[in-house]
Formats: sequence, C-alpha cells, structure tokens
Amino acid sequence: MKVTKTKAFRIFFTPIWESNPISGQILGICSALAVTVQLKTAIVMSLALTFVLACSNLLISLMRKLIPRNIRIIVELTVIATLVIFADQVLKAFLYDISKQLSIFVGLIITNCIILGRAETYALGNPPFHSLLDGIGNGLGYSQILITVGVLREFLGAGKFFGFQVIPDAFYAAGYENMGLMVLAPGAFIAIGLIVWLQKTVSKE
Amino acid sequence: MSKYIKSVLFAAVLSLVCGGLLTLASTGLRDYQLKNMELDMNKNILKSVGLLEDQKSYSTAAVAQLYSDHIRKMWVDDEGKVVPEKKGGIDLPVYLFLQQENVNAYIIPIQSRGLWGKIAGYLAIKNDGATISGFTVYSHQETPGLGGEIEKKWFQKNFEGKTILDDQGDFVSVAIAKGTVKGQIPKGRQKNYVDGISGATMTGKFLSAGLKETLNKYEPLSKRFRMNEIK
Repeated sequence: MKVTKTKAFRIFFTPIWESNPISGQILGICSALAVTVQLKTAIVMSLALTFVLACSNLLISLMRKLIPRNIRIIVELTVIATLVIFADQVLKAFLYDISKQLSIFVGLIITNCIILGRAETYALGNPPFHSLLDGIGNGLGYSQILITVGVLREFLGAGKFFGFQVIPDAFYAAGYENMGLMVLAPGAFIAIGLIVWLQKTVSKE
Repeated sequence: MSKYIKSVLFAAVLSLVCGGLLTLASTGLRDYQLKNMELDMNKNILKSVGLLEDQKSYSTAAVAQLYSDHIRKMWVDDEGKVVPEKKGGIDLPVYLFLQQENVNAYIIPIQSRGLWGKIAGYLAIKNDGATISGFTVYSHQETPGLGGEIEKKWFQKNFEGKTILDDQGDFVSVAIAKGTVKGQIPKGRQKNYVDGISGATMTGKFLSAGLKETLNKYEPLSKRFRMNEIK
C-alpha cells in the first residue's frame, strides 16, 4: 500500500489543505486576524497553537475511556487551559518581546474553537496516535494560513519580510506607499477571504 | 461506585495534577521571567530618554552598558533632595539620566490605575523640571487596540515636549485629552495635554489621574530642578 493511501496519512494531510481549519472550516478566525500583522508573531502563535492542539488531542485521547461523559467539556477545557498557560509561561521566560506583542492572544488559545472542536469531535473517539496526527495536522493547517497571511500583510503593509526591509527606498522615493489597510484587521479579512476562494477553486478540480 | 462520585473524583484528581504541573512550571521558569522583566524595565527607562530606538533590537549586554553609563538610581526625600540611599519610608525612587556628569533628565516611575488593571511605566522630565522628554509603558492590562494603544509609539510620542506647568508657572500635570488636543483644548492649555485614544476614554482618564498623583508627589524634586538647584 502506498503511503499516501494509509489512514494516518489522510488524517494528517486532510486538515492541512482540504478541510483546513481556517479556510475550510472557518474556525479560529479571531486570532488569525489579530496576530498576522507581522510574520514573526504569526509564526510564534502558530507554534504555540500547534503545540497545544497536538498535546491536548493526545492527552484527551489517552483519557477518553476514563473521562465521565457528563463533565467531558470541563475536563477538555482544563487540559487545554493547563497547556495554554504552560505555553504562555515558556514564552514569557524565553521569548519575552514576542510574548508581549502577542499579549492576550496566547491566553485566548484556550477559547480557540479549533482546539475544543478537535477534542470533541476527534480525540474523544479515536486512538492516541491518530489523535496526535490529527492535532498536528490541524495545527499545521492553521499555521499555513497564518503564515501566508502574515507574509502578505507584512509585505504589503510595511514593505518588510521577517522584519527586513525588502521594498527598496527608491520605490518609496518614486511615490510607492505602504498599504495602510493591510495593517488593520480588515486587511486580514480580505486576505483570508481570498485564500478561501483560491482553496475552494483549486480543490474542486 | 455511582456515576456522580466518579465524576467528582475524576475532576478532583485532574485539577490536582494540572494545578501541580502549572505550579512546577511557573516556579521553575520564574528566574528567567524575572530577568526578562528587569531587562524590559531597563529598556523602557532608556527609551523614555531617547537612548534606544524603537525599531532596533539591542543585545542584553548593550542595554546593560547603556544603562550603567547613563542611568543612576537615586531616592528623593520629602524635601525633594536627591539622596543615594533610601532612608525613610516615604523616600521615592528616581532615575537620573546623566550625560557628561550632568543631569540631563530625571525619570519617574509611574504606577497608575487603568480600566482593567495597573499601568506601569516611566515618565522622563528634562532638567528644567517642566518639559517632558519621554513616556513609556511596560506593563498594562488594557484592551488591545483600544486602551492597549498606550504602549504604542504614536501615543507615547505625543508626550515629548509637553510640559507639566501652565502659563503662570504653576504645576498642573500633564493629561490625556478626550479626542484630539487641537479640537478640544483651549490654546493656552494645549501644552499640558496629549491626544487621547478613541474608544479608550476611561483608560485616558485613569492614566491622567495617575500621572497627576505621581507628579504631585515628585513636585518637591521638580521644584528644585526648576530653581536650578540640581546639576
């Protein structure tokens, strides 16, 4: 059997493109708007979310037979909140400047619907290995969109890539101007909308 | 075992485990976090007197070097005298910005109430005892995009060149206007106000009050600077 036909492969790759959490399922838009002004914050946010999502899926899947049905949402949220606070503490210890820029949005990973959604619909009913893959896949799917939007917004909004000026001064001298709209939230909305459109068009074929 | 007891037990064990892990993480990482916070505070002190540019990144060593070259932490007693050691309980901390052994500006730590929590920052005043040379915020709980704009450069830049005195030379503090200074404030008072943040009137109100309270406490020191008693 080819690798691309295995179940594990499908679990991992479907959320990256076909049912991408942002452009396919339209989840987790809030943070995607907030942290994508610069590529750097977008990447750190992606890493934090992928970490939380992978771990929460794994842990909840490991406990899925123990968790009492009537308090399962509370249990899921406790696990997710613990992981998020842990990620926040690590960022504060080692990437202080970025953690300041991300401000409350790391804490808000707790309320990101992607994580609770995957825990409820996938991890509770599937074995640990597949849940872990599903978590990483969804995390990478989210990251992929965040990074694309981040690159686009930083380039169009500030003329920079990863903090380095890429549009030469000569352009500005000749009358080129940064697109102010891209720095604001509507810019991210438009960018995400275009990505959804592109994705829907491509995957139809 | 009934279903009810099982749920309670599971919840109790889970909370204990999660709580324990978090305590472990936060105590284990505390030293690193405190070091970061101290560095960030020093950076803000340097920024308030314009020694650091906003967009550039500086190494820890470079910040420490600049700090030890130019900044002296001192205390102010109740008569406004600058003393090197804290004596009484009422002495206030102040940071002196030195250039060629002259005091170029003095930096006051600001602790103010905000809408959602404490706002902490620094206000630097030039050695004329009246003109503000810079303002920074290093910690706050305000809403990003609204009150959170107080940590942004556009807001802080407005403080530069404003004064804490009115036309008669009396202390009036510096305040945040509701709306823009040009539209709201009479001409004679415009030098005592900075542009407000739209959608964050309360944050501005609390911060104005906090600035006034703090500046009032440091007024004896400012007076000495105005009378040229401190070089």
